[in-house]
Amino acid sequence: MGPAVLTVEGLEKHYGGVRAVDGVSFNVERGSITGLIGPNGAGKSTVLAVIGGYIAADAGRVHLDGADITKMPMHQRARRGLVRTFQMARVFGNLTTLENLLVAAPQQRGERVAGVIGGRRSWRRQEGALVEQAQGLLATFGMPTKADDLARTLSGGQKRAVEIMRALMMQPKLLLLDEPMAGLSPSLTRQLEDVLLGLAQQGLSLLLVEHELDTVERLCATVVVMAQGRVLSQGHMSELRLSREVQDAYVIG
Amino acid sequence: MAWEYYLVVMLVYLGTDLLAVWGLNLEFGVAGVANLAYIVVVAAGAYTYAVLTLGPSSNLGGFQQYIGGFTLPWPLALLAGAAAGAVVGTIIGITGLKRLRQDYQAVAMLVVSLMVATVVSADVGLFNGSAGLALIPNPFSTLDPETARWAYVGLVAVCCVLGFFVLRRFTTGPLGRTLRAVRDDDVAASAMGKDVIRLRLLVQAVGGGMGGLSGALLAGFIGGWSPSAWVYIETLAFLSCVIVGGIGSDRGATLGTVIVAVLLLQGVQFLPQFPSSPGLSEDLGWIVLATATIVFIWLRPQGVLPERRPRYLGKAVSPPPG
Repeated sequence: MGPAVLTVEGLEKHYGGVRAVDGVSFNVERGSITGLIGPNGAGKSTVLAVIGGYIAADAGRVHLDGADITKMPMHQRARRGLVRTFQMARVFGNLTTLENLLVAAPQQRGERVAGVIGGRRSWRRQEGALVEQAQGLLATFGMPTKADDLARTLSGGQKRAVEIMRALMMQPKLLLLDEPMAGLSPSLTRQLEDVLLGLAQQGLSLLLVEHELDTVERLCATVVVMAQGRVLSQGHMSELRLSREVQDAYVIG
Repeated sequence: MAWEYYLVVMLVYLGTDLLAVWGLNLEFGVAGVANLAYIVVVAAGAYTYAVLTLGPSSNLGGFQQYIGGFTLPWPLALLAGAAAGAVVGTIIGITGLKRLRQDYQAVAMLVVSLMVATVVSADVGLFNGSAGLALIPNPFSTLDPETARWAYVGLVAVCCVLGFFVLRRFTTGPLGRTLRAVRDDDVAASAMGKDVIRLRLLVQAVGGGMGGLSGALLAGFIGGWSPSAWVYIETLAFLSCVIVGGIGSDRGATLGTVIVAVLLLQGVQFLPQFPSSPGLSEDLGWIVLATATIVFIWLRPQGVLPERRPRYLGKAVSPPPG
């Protein structure tokens, strides 16, 4: 295992007098799934938003693969392989499911001025390869017949699947997932867990905010526990369950 | 013949309206920028064409004042009009750079439109103030009037064909798909590596260029251009074309222009006139237009010819109503 893919150091975010994030530091190791847990209002989603670039940090540093990305706009972080999904799935409703996946592909010739001037001939081949890749993902996620449905007609679970497939189309280094299991049926949850474990085995690193502690225990090598904007503890879930401090902050079921 | 003159006027208006509505549909319908200052780019094109073809302002005894004053060949002046629209469109786009929500963006741009109109009306030195510019040269003034009129229709038609060709390069393919993604959810799009600001400015420039060309063609045909030709409400007329035709659909915008700009706004001119209220037919046109727009927003928000997406398993999909 090389150096950490993501390093978060002394992250702070204040809203007026409220310290939503108050000096948070942790690492995400390459090819691992790290969980970020804690009670409601602990600041988990804020940490994720700061890492993703949606919210600017008041203090602290974020490094991706050794490079300081603290002040980088969101789209540039994404181009460096830092990809996030949202708590509420945000699909492009008026595009088809397949198009949602195609949009996500990086470095598309047809998106650039050269593609505008060159016309279809300049991007047709790349587009064909992307369509194949996207159809492969749809098959993996059991949605091959949904390819041509407008994304806004999909169910909640399917929209979430689209978000994850879209993220995978970007060939990310680090995937930030904000409660990917919320609202999924137990069987879908199990399926998604298997997919995420498979991705980690292929070398992808994941940072997962999740409420379902059983899922966290099954997936995550390391768990970071937050409460009131601070990191309370980190380690493996089985150890953390025993910690009095964690139990007090987070009533574990 | 009167009907022939009327037909020429209608065709020129249809062509210039089409260019403008296509440009606005690219900005609003495809990329989701609610540019309520769109008419300003049309004006920019018209004024640019005027001051580049009128010659020095002292020429005609200095009865009208304006900046510049050149005698460029008309094709160059048309291109310059389009370029001016692109530049002004980009500048207007900068007002939406901050992550303003679409509704705030619309308000900001509406204010820009009002401000520009106020300044241009008040500052006589710019473009002769509220009186506007007259005697703008017609490119075909050396031909006999009838040939000149039809030559102008031909010129507008050529510009429309070229304009549509350029437009399709932006609304279809991977770029069109990405722009529609930005429209549907700009946060998600930038989380996927899309440079939303750059894309929006690009669209503002291209849409602005089409609007500028539309204005330049109008100025050359009418021979005059003043602030009363580009009040903010004209943007709403273009917007109605987009909404009635089908937001985000090029075919829809085309049909919407025929329905709204030609059938509705011109149709009311044929109603019986009442001498007691001379402006009635024009006002009636706006009332019919506004009503049609509201009816569509309520009952058929996707428009007459809805946006269609490419299908990979079969033929193209249309959205379900609602």
